[in-house]
Amino acid sequence: MPKVIAITKKELAAYFKSPVAYIILVVTLVIFNFLFFMIIDQNREATLRDVFQAMEFIFLFIVPLLTMKVFAEEKNAGTMEFLMTTPTNNNVIVFGKYLGTLLFLSVLLLISVVYYGIIEFYAAPDWAATLSGFLGIWLEAALFLAIGMMTSSWTKSQVVAAITSYVILFFLYFSLTFVKYFTGSAETVIKYISTMTHSKNFFVGVITLTDLVYYLSGILFCLLLTRLSIETRLWR
Amino acid sequence: MITVKNITKCFGSLRVLNNISFEIGNGEIVGFLGQNGAGKTTLMRILTSYLTPTSGDVYYDDLNIQNNSLEARRRLGYLPEMPPLYHEMSVKSYLKFSAELKNVPVREITASVDRALSDCRLNNVCNKRIGVLSKGYKQRVGLAQAIINDPDILILDEPMSGLDPVQILQVRTLIKNLEHKRTVILSTHILSEIERIVQRVMFIKAGSVIKDTSIDSLAETENRTFVVKVKSDEQFLQNVLKDITCATLLDVKTIRDCCEVSLSVPRSEENVNTIAAVLTEKRVSILEIIESRPSLEQKFIEVISEEDHA
Repeated sequence: MPKVIAITKKELAAYFKSPVAYIILVVTLVIFNFLFFMIIDQNREATLRDVFQAMEFIFLFIVPLLTMKVFAEEKNAGTMEFLMTTPTNNNVIVFGKYLGTLLFLSVLLLISVVYYGIIEFYAAPDWAATLSGFLGIWLEAALFLAIGMMTSSWTKSQVVAAITSYVILFFLYFSLTFVKYFTGSAETVIKYISTMTHSKNFFVGVITLTDLVYYLSGILFCLLLTRLSIETRLWR
Repeated sequence: MITVKNITKCFGSLRVLNNISFEIGNGEIVGFLGQNGAGKTTLMRILTSYLTPTSGDVYYDDLNIQNNSLEARRRLGYLPEMPPLYHEMSVKSYLKFSAELKNVPVREITASVDRALSDCRLNNVCNKRIGVLSKGYKQRVGLAQAIINDPDILILDEPMSGLDPVQILQVRTLIKNLEHKRTVILSTHILSEIERIVQRVMFIKAGSVIKDTSIDSLAETENRTFVVKVKSDEQFLQNVLKDITCATLLDVKTIRDCCEVSLSVPRSEENVNTIAAVLTEKRVSILEIIESRPSLEQKFIEVISEEDHA
């Protein structure tokens, strides 16, 4: 556990020492604020449901920018060789790095709690639905991060890592749009893998075991593939 | 002790290491010599368990490092060819991070960091960001990382790269101080440094160890070469040299009023005395007799070329 903390701290510190992270943080919050006021002004409803959907869409673009460097930069700078020759288990390396990126994104989400405060000030929103929505968007972000980190472990190039992430995330996000062209088991599979199928339940205040399993198993699957990816040098 | 048994490494169809076997005793300092692409870095990476061999095994004492890689890495300090540095970190925080990952007990981390900073002469830059340091400093930070856990085995790939002569001297002293206490394997292209640091050299060519010898026996040759500096006329000297049957004349050079004669003689001190006696008898005043030892550069080229001709 001390090694996980050491790697998490290092990863988190690397974000806050980089201007790119501050730019991402500020730009994302500006977009969130803009969307929040626009949605509330248009809907006139004391709910963050549509705000969460907008945040989900923004995360599609933001997350690959945050994760592209996680392993690609290490490979490029030669520090991967250092990490892999210390007596540190590969699970610890992957989990420590994942926790670092997740904490960074959690900070961003934590700041957006202020939106609930604003609505609470003027009306009486359903706090349970809002809490469920925050859990949903946090799980969604966590899944996106795991996918981004996985693609970062596949390459030395941060650009390639980001583009590959975009391809996978866009496929998962928009796949529901194409479901009408499929029938039978293909339709079931596409519906299941689409993130929108699962996130919308959280946003309306419904937490189901299926949705929780979807996110948690997705995250675990990506982290396992990341671990396998950093070990591939051993099989070559 | 490090035991390497029949290591072969292939990347696809490319065979980078070819059935290498050797043993390195505890406390030995060994140098890997070879041209670029000879397989030195791949061999070092296998010795650190960063890469696995296609076939063969590596043991630290009785520990198979492929099967017990975490245990093996606890005993290891490794400086790769490109120092593995996080440029956004300060030197101190990087070394603390390295110590944490290398199982240094929490209570000893501060002392270990201070020792590494002091051994690598980094105290004056300890709070600076690594990214702003010069190449020499970065190299030393990499070296400090390698010794932070006081490892039994130290593997250094090009540790002198980018260092100025003063820094090279400091690194040399640092490595020499580990002699008999730690096993050190290093590679460098600065051959004069290898000569001063290591006890044993392995010449690696095309993935094979073509010569494995102690640094002392490397300097030994069947024939010794002596350079005799005398005050004499070259023509007269040529005639005198005909009387020295025990030596082969290699070269005669006249520099101002002195002649410099290079002679190759079989390994026996009597031969040197015979040369001196003949010259004295012929009233040639001897200014100097020095033994000219082949440099490691010469030996390196010789060994590599021998293999080419073979």
